[in-house]
Amino acid sequence: MRPSTIKYYLREGLSGLKKNLLMTMASIMAVMACISIVSFSYCVASNLQHILQQMEDSIGISVFISGDPTSQEIEDMKSKIKGIDHVIDVQYISPNDALGALKDDWGAEEDIFEGLDDTNNPLSHSFQITLDKIESQSGVLGALKGIDGIDNIRHGQTETELIMKANKVFNIASVLVMLILGIISIMIIMNTIRISVVNRRVEINIMKYVGATDWFIRWPFIIEGVIIGMVGAVIPLLIGMPIYAKIVSSLYNYIPVIKMIQFKLMGDVYIVLFPVALGFGIILGIIGSITSIRKHLRV
Amino acid sequence: MIWLNNVTKTYPNGSRGVENLNLHIEKGEFVFIVGSSGSGKSTLIKLLLKELDPTSGDITINRVKTNELSRNQIPYLRRNLGVVFQDFRLLPNKTVYENVAFAMRVIEAPNRIIRRNVPAVLALVGLGKKGRSYPNQLSGGEQQRTALARAIVNNPPILICDEPTGNLDPETAWGIMQLLDDINKRGTTIVMATHARDIVDDMQKRVVTLKQGNIVRDKKGGYSDEA
Repeated sequence: MRPSTIKYYLREGLSGLKKNLLMTMASIMAVMACISIVSFSYCVASNLQHILQQMEDSIGISVFISGDPTSQEIEDMKSKIKGIDHVIDVQYISPNDALGALKDDWGAEEDIFEGLDDTNNPLSHSFQITLDKIESQSGVLGALKGIDGIDNIRHGQTETELIMKANKVFNIASVLVMLILGIISIMIIMNTIRISVVNRRVEINIMKYVGATDWFIRWPFIIEGVIIGMVGAVIPLLIGMPIYAKIVSSLYNYIPVIKMIQFKLMGDVYIVLFPVALGFGIILGIIGSITSIRKHLRV
Repeated sequence: MIWLNNVTKTYPNGSRGVENLNLHIEKGEFVFIVGSSGSGKSTLIKLLLKELDPTSGDITINRVKTNELSRNQIPYLRRNLGVVFQDFRLLPNKTVYENVAFAMRVIEAPNRIIRRNVPAVLALVGLGKKGRSYPNQLSGGEQQRTALARAIVNNPPILICDEPTGNLDPETAWGIMQLLDDINKRGTTIVMATHARDIVDDMQKRVVTLKQGNIVRDKKGGYSDEA
């Protein structure tokens, strides 16, 4: 392809967009809506995934022991728990360690624990169990119930199940919405390009008679579609950056418990989202333009 | 140069465009296709341009059997064929120069060649000074000259003209005919469909007369009464 030909395609593509400005704007907005949903879905889904990952890494099962066991009893119990499938680590936590950790967690407000010390510590002896993966939790819980001396078991099963379920539902819903918006965007783009094609039908007709190849005729329209797709993708992506940062910092600020989990950094989100969403926008543009010129090429 | 071998074209609605045409046009010939409306002139022109495919028979242009061409090869066939229409078909928002250059750009000619050939061909058709004008600033004759310049700028061996003088007054039409004669003398084969009896009589070229899709006369000389 000659540079002069590429210049010709670009010039023609841009002039088509300008002549048809209102429809161009409508198409760009349709793509923007679609890409916004894609971006939002990706941000939520990838963060849910990220949180699940952290839970897998950190949240295990806490087992509390009744009474005041001897160190021999503690050792026995520890080895029994270690023998359960999918358990990769068991850590004994004495009431004193637990109180210290609690004070650390609460930081500035640790004065609510004032007056508590070794002599009147209400906390129990416990084990912190780490699992290989979150899905094995219910199996391990069943096995733990068969061990004597266990007073109470605390686990994040309901929370993890909730997040896993939310993730699944959210993924399905966002794919559906994306699909519907994608189709609507393609249809609006098709209409825009079709108007542009009809505006130039005399030109296309002459081009065919003087021996232009179909691809030569198609390129300016494809460029129109690509520009619509690109602009429609880049705008919501750029707008989304400060919004993402703002939402994450608000969540950290207003819901202190959330500090225990980490959201994805914007850079980590955008390094995947940007090329994917941009590519998706461009593909919408290309599909829209190619389908609308097909029938006009039959001369 | 052009061979038609038992060519029949029947339209999907059953009407007959042309029937069993056998026609051979040599390189460098100037051939008029005459006949009344509905005689098959337009069908024949469209078959030559491969805008239509024959229902049966075959057409050979410049040693290429057009029936055997795939869709992708049609543009390359058309580069051998310059076309001029009755309604000029110029792009109104482009200057005369741009309209002619457009035909070269479309086949991806280098800019250097475009800058050299367009002024030369505009001078040839007598529009050397009109390059910057827009079609609506031109007379009918000048518009047709522009269309003619566009048709020949890529040097096609064959020029196909569909009623090129149909929208012009006799004097202007005559100017166009002289131009076509000049182009023909430079070696371009010309096939021209027309109604214009005076022009055909004056030119004294080969005349193929069509009637109801059949060739009823093929003779050098004037327009025939059989049409």
